[in-house]
Amino acid sequence: MDPEAEQAARTARESLDLAFHMSNILDTGLDRHTLSVLIALCDLGLNPEALAAVVKELQREPSPMPIVPTSSSPH
Amino acid sequence: MEEEDQRKLTDLVVELVRRLLSQNPLNPQTPYSDPDLRSPHFQQSLSYAVRILSSRLTPSIAPDAAAIAESIKRRLATEGKSADALTFADLYAKFASKTGPGSVNNKWAVLYLLKIISEDRKSARNGLDSSVFLPNLALNGVEGENSSRVLRGRESREKGWSNGVLLVAKDPENLRDIAFKELVNVVKEENEVSEEVLVRDVLYACQGIDGKHVKFDSDVDGYVLSDSIKVPKATRIMVRKLCELGWLFRKVKGYISESMDQFPAEDVGTVGQAFCAALQDELSEYYKLLAVLEAQAMNPIPLVSENASSGNYLSLRRLSVWFAEPMVKMRLMAVLVDKCRVLRGGAMAGAIHLHAQHGDPLVHDFMRRLLRRVCSPLFEMVRSWVLEGELEDIFAEFFIVGQPVKAESLWREGYRLHAGMLPSFISQSLAQRILRTGKSINFLRVCCDDRGWADTATEAAAAAGTTTRRGGLGYGETDALESLVVEAAKRIDKHLLDVMYKRYRFKEHCLAIKRYLLLGQGDFVQYLMDVVGPELSEPANTISSFKLAGLLESAIRSSNAQYDDPDILDRLRVKMMPHGSGDRGWDVFSLEYDARVPLDTVFTESVMTRYLRIFNFLWKLRRVEHALIGAWKTMKPNCITSHSFNKLQHAVKLQLLSTLRRCQVLWDEMNHFVSNLQYYIMFEVLEVSWSDFSSEMEVAKDLDDLLAAHEKYLHSIVEKSLLGERSQNLYKSLFVLFDLILRFRSHADRLYEGIHELQARTVDSSLPSRDKNKSRKQTNDRSSEPGTWLSDGRKALTQRAGEFLRNMQQDLDAISKEYTSLLEGFLAQLPVQQHIDLKFLLFRLDFTEFYRQLHPTK
Repeated sequence: MDPEAEQAARTARESLDLAFHMSNILDTGLDRHTLSVLIALCDLGLNPEALAAVVKELQREPSPMPIVPTSSSPH
Repeated sequence: MEEEDQRKLTDLVVELVRRLLSQNPLNPQTPYSDPDLRSPHFQQSLSYAVRILSSRLTPSIAPDAAAIAESIKRRLATEGKSADALTFADLYAKFASKTGPGSVNNKWAVLYLLKIISEDRKSARNGLDSSVFLPNLALNGVEGENSSRVLRGRESREKGWSNGVLLVAKDPENLRDIAFKELVNVVKEENEVSEEVLVRDVLYACQGIDGKHVKFDSDVDGYVLSDSIKVPKATRIMVRKLCELGWLFRKVKGYISESMDQFPAEDVGTVGQAFCAALQDELSEYYKLLAVLEAQAMNPIPLVSENASSGNYLSLRRLSVWFAEPMVKMRLMAVLVDKCRVLRGGAMAGAIHLHAQHGDPLVHDFMRRLLRRVCSPLFEMVRSWVLEGELEDIFAEFFIVGQPVKAESLWREGYRLHAGMLPSFISQSLAQRILRTGKSINFLRVCCDDRGWADTATEAAAAAGTTTRRGGLGYGETDALESLVVEAAKRIDKHLLDVMYKRYRFKEHCLAIKRYLLLGQGDFVQYLMDVVGPELSEPANTISSFKLAGLLESAIRSSNAQYDDPDILDRLRVKMMPHGSGDRGWDVFSLEYDARVPLDTVFTESVMTRYLRIFNFLWKLRRVEHALIGAWKTMKPNCITSHSFNKLQHAVKLQLLSTLRRCQVLWDEMNHFVSNLQYYIMFEVLEVSWSDFSSEMEVAKDLDDLLAAHEKYLHSIVEKSLLGERSQNLYKSLFVLFDLILRFRSHADRLYEGIHELQARTVDSSLPSRDKNKSRKQTNDRSSEPGTWLSDGRKALTQRAGEFLRNMQQDLDAISKEYTSLLEGFLAQLPVQQHIDLKFLLFRLDFTEFYRQLHPTK
């Protein structure tokens, strides 16, 4: 592994650590893995508000389930 | 590339949904396990997530990571988790510093995401998010701004306006950008000094130090920006306003250092020292804030257009927000300092307490904290006073003042309340109670030589739920204080009364005083009167008090008093009052009772003087009664047999009989008066007062009650026995009456002497053998006439007898007349008296309404 990639990996890990810490302080209830997925999604340019809405809705399972009609699947 | 991103995105979304569902404890089918990717539930969730994601493609706020971090920090701080806020700031600083490959590119998005999730969770827990409804402007300013921006963003997005700010920032040709740049130039031109410098100066000023531009101006009496510097007027005013804190700080700080260093300790006192210490603590809190602010002041202030690289900068406006709370506190402290400059001790605590009545919870809490500290020395004093009787008051701050006095006046004068030092949160009655409790302890210790109170005090403290150690009480626990005082007072007073009653036999001594000084013991008084009577008829200066003491002793021994406690009898003494030249023994003789410590607290000198007055009155009354009884002994009708006068001339015989009759009637009248008066004094004054006193003694809860009861007892006796101020005239006429009765007695004696003589003569004339016997008697006789009768014949005898009887009759007439008028005067005065019992006396004296009918005009 070349040193540059190694450096990048370490930075990524540390960033994730820091973000996880902050997340714990804020008491978001996210685990590390979920957080990393969310960070990746953010990096891809998704709207954080929308992501937060997803987290909120899916954590509040299963109440939204009946509202979603199966027929209205997108794409 | 696009394709790959899309695929990656889909994968990630699937992964996210999977993670979230597996985490969800509410998931009914497969808790804590990987959900089946093909299950309809999962598919539903996934499609729901995708729908949400695709519906909101753009964020509603400008991407500013620092601002978001700042807002999160504020929120944590306002929630009271300052430690978390600090940790978060630290983490964020590190997080932001990660740049380059591998780091998170979209930092603001991550932060924003975390923020929203945490808020969502919180509001889900709390039901609703209070910050949306009631943004606290002073503290949540930034957050409020953000949320309103979010709201605005949402609205505008619906209108179709997408990522406005983002676009503006990216376009260098934009008009707004140009305008911002111009603004920056204008600002720079207007301000000679940058805002950072001013902020730093203001921070200095707030610590009482002159800055580079902001200096203390003694003319204006405040910190001002020097005139030579060109800044807009608004800035100047702002600086001036912010520097009020510095001025206040100077004042408080000045007071503290003055009190701590310059004044001698006596001028400040422990309460003052406690106040200073409390202020010092508040100031160190203030220093902490200033240190944080100073660190923040190092960050450059971005102008509008410049990219916000750091959220932690301090502008003058931000400073004014930060200063809002310390300003309130500092103002309060300055007011207190002003108020307390001349006060000390309890007065100071009271003055501070007055300021604690405030509706603002911030002020209220602050004052409570302060007062707890300030009052702790005071409460400590109360505690040690109530439980140990110690007056630990070196600097004269306590509301109880002690002064060195003799043991007998310790209770009355030893300690008193100092109204000026009584803080207003201790009520007057509580203060009285505190005073009395400590006084009781001291009294027990000094006068009664008692050690039992210590156990009682410990018991009281245990009952009140506080320990006897120091620092058990504080401000705001007035209830606890009161219950402690009440418990202690109850027990110690009870203990004191126990000691008084049991060990010092207060009741027995009172009874002894009543029996001997108030002549309650009849046989003793009778005997004493018999024994000392002849002695007391001598002129006062020839009487030896030693002899009288001996006579007293024999009176005790020959009456029932001999069975009394020797300790009590031992205290009974004869006292000769200072006498003038003409006084007889009767005028100066009195009895005295030596109460000794600690009973002399009750029987003080002035009390004993009053007892003495009562004694003198009663003694005189007794003497008059005694004299009348003595007269009766000679007057008894059977002593003179009328047949022995048969030989007398008829006229003389008639005269004799009428004189005798006259004398009898007068005696009867006097006897009626004296015995009724005697009865009234004994049964309606002394016994009634005593029974009242006894029952009050039973219910007395403390020594003050006892003293009051005794005072009342004595007062009622004095008032009812005509010895009071208002019955002076009555008392005087009564004494004239007494003197008259005594005079009557000597006249009656003389009359009967003469009659006996006459009788003897008439018998003699028929029986000369008795001549010798009679003549010897005659030489001893004090009567002036007898010598002349001896040699005269029967005629001369008759003539002399007639003359003698005439004289006597005249005397008796004079006395009778005087007596009638005096008695009339006395009776006329009775109804004028205030005291209700005196009316009963009148009723008793004039039972048959004889006197009223005699003088119907009255």
